[in-house]
Amino acid sequence: MSKLQQRLRPWLVKYLSLPSDVVMELPRMTIIGQLHVYIENHKGLSVFTDNELRLKTTKGYIQIKGSSFVLKMMLPEEILLEGKITEVKFIPA
Amino acid sequence: MKQIQGSFIRGFVTIVVSGHMPEMFFQECVRRGITVWNIKRENKKTCSGNVKLSDLREVKRIRREFQYKISFRERKGFPFLFSRFFRRKEFVLSFIASIFFILFMSNIIWKVEITGELPKEIEEKISKQLNEYGVHPGAWIFTLDPPGKIQQKLTEDIPELLWVGVHQKGTTYHLEGVEKIVVKEDKVEGPRNIVAAKKGVIKRMYVSKGLPIVSINDYVEPGKVLVSGILNEVDNNAGNEDGKDKKKPVKVAAEGEIIASTWYEVDVTIPLKKNYELLTGKKEKKYFLGFNNFTFPVWGFGKPEFEAIHYDSNQTPIKFLRWELPIFIKETTLSEKQYHEIVRTHEEAVEAGIKQAKEELQLQLGPEAKIVSEKILHESVENGKVKLYLYMTVEENIAKAQPITQGD
Repeated sequence: MSKLQQRLRPWLVKYLSLPSDVVMELPRMTIIGQLHVYIENHKGLSVFTDNELRLKTTKGYIQIKGSSFVLKMMLPEEILLEGKITEVKFIPA
Repeated sequence: MKQIQGSFIRGFVTIVVSGHMPEMFFQECVRRGITVWNIKRENKKTCSGNVKLSDLREVKRIRREFQYKISFRERKGFPFLFSRFFRRKEFVLSFIASIFFILFMSNIIWKVEITGELPKEIEEKISKQLNEYGVHPGAWIFTLDPPGKIQQKLTEDIPELLWVGVHQKGTTYHLEGVEKIVVKEDKVEGPRNIVAAKKGVIKRMYVSKGLPIVSINDYVEPGKVLVSGILNEVDNNAGNEDGKDKKKPVKVAAEGEIIASTWYEVDVTIPLKKNYELLTGKKEKKYFLGFNNFTFPVWGFGKPEFEAIHYDSNQTPIKFLRWELPIFIKETTLSEKQYHEIVRTHEEAVEAGIKQAKEELQLQLGPEAKIVSEKILHESVENGKVKLYLYMTVEENIAKAQPITQGD
């Protein structure tokens, strides 16, 4: 069943032009310059230090690197990061 | 950011978490629906973040389940400000004192204004009279009579005032007066006759000017000329020269007083039994502090020693600046009263009836009229009441001026 769903979802995105982040449970990231990163639809925090933020997603991790990081706000599926961002990386599980 | 809004009003705390992987503690908080913000990594083992004051109990519960150490660094927001404020007794005391001060000031008269086009002396008279009633700057508002009563008293005590309006506007008393201008009765100028105003039999006549036409004991109807203003004087000079009795009418303003005996028929009914209440003059005052329907005695406790009581209450609301508070001061005057019952005999009732009828008639005719005699024409007793039909003889002035219309 889940196999079928996984095959069905890209099709939905492609032919019905539904928003991909909602249908495929992917994280949505909004980056404002080097200043802010706003991440929605993540699956939890795994590492947070002064210069690294690692978030769980459905398919692996998102790694954000930089310096003087502050989590301005933290909600169950949203995060607002502030600091000097230098790198955004997707790490497959 | 909506979640953080209003956190200052409801208070928030900065907590410092220490242990292995301290960020996971915040992750657990978020998972349970606690909003956390401004999370910072302090060093390898510690992490700090802000939590709402209302979520603190949940945070403490999470701490028990994990092996993190939590310390509180900063307390911010109104709840903490308030508690710091209330810890200082001087602040609280002065705050309460200032509220009482404003309350006190709001219930004092600051100004008494007299408007209206009044002469200086009447204005002074009013302010003097007001002083006597206790209406002056610095007086307590709730010790004073209501404006309506002051109004009534002022018009009674100062006869020069036709009308006075008293309004209380917050802490000022506004008075607006209208002077009574005494208008003299319009005298008929020029030549005039004196005619009868009522029917009657003439008893006495005092004519100072004019020619009397009627004499004593004449019966006159209203409108009849009593004293004529047209004099038929002999013109002496002309008469002597011409040797002829040439008469030339001279018109004067007739003046005089014609006292005639007039009569009236009056109906009176007097009950044989009569109940009435009388205040003896003994009284006690009680003061209450009231809120809505609830009143709380402040001064004057216990029951008065008299039984029959006449209650008279007066409510004055307490003011705060320009608003009236729902609290009021109620002054109740308890006066002793006595019930009286009069049972009159038939003769007494008749006597009372005659007295009453006389008084009524005197009031109607004015103080100059004199009631000479009265006679009972008919009397009957019905339903415990005596009904009288009286005939009264009065001596009064029936003179009325009437101008003589000129022929041209």
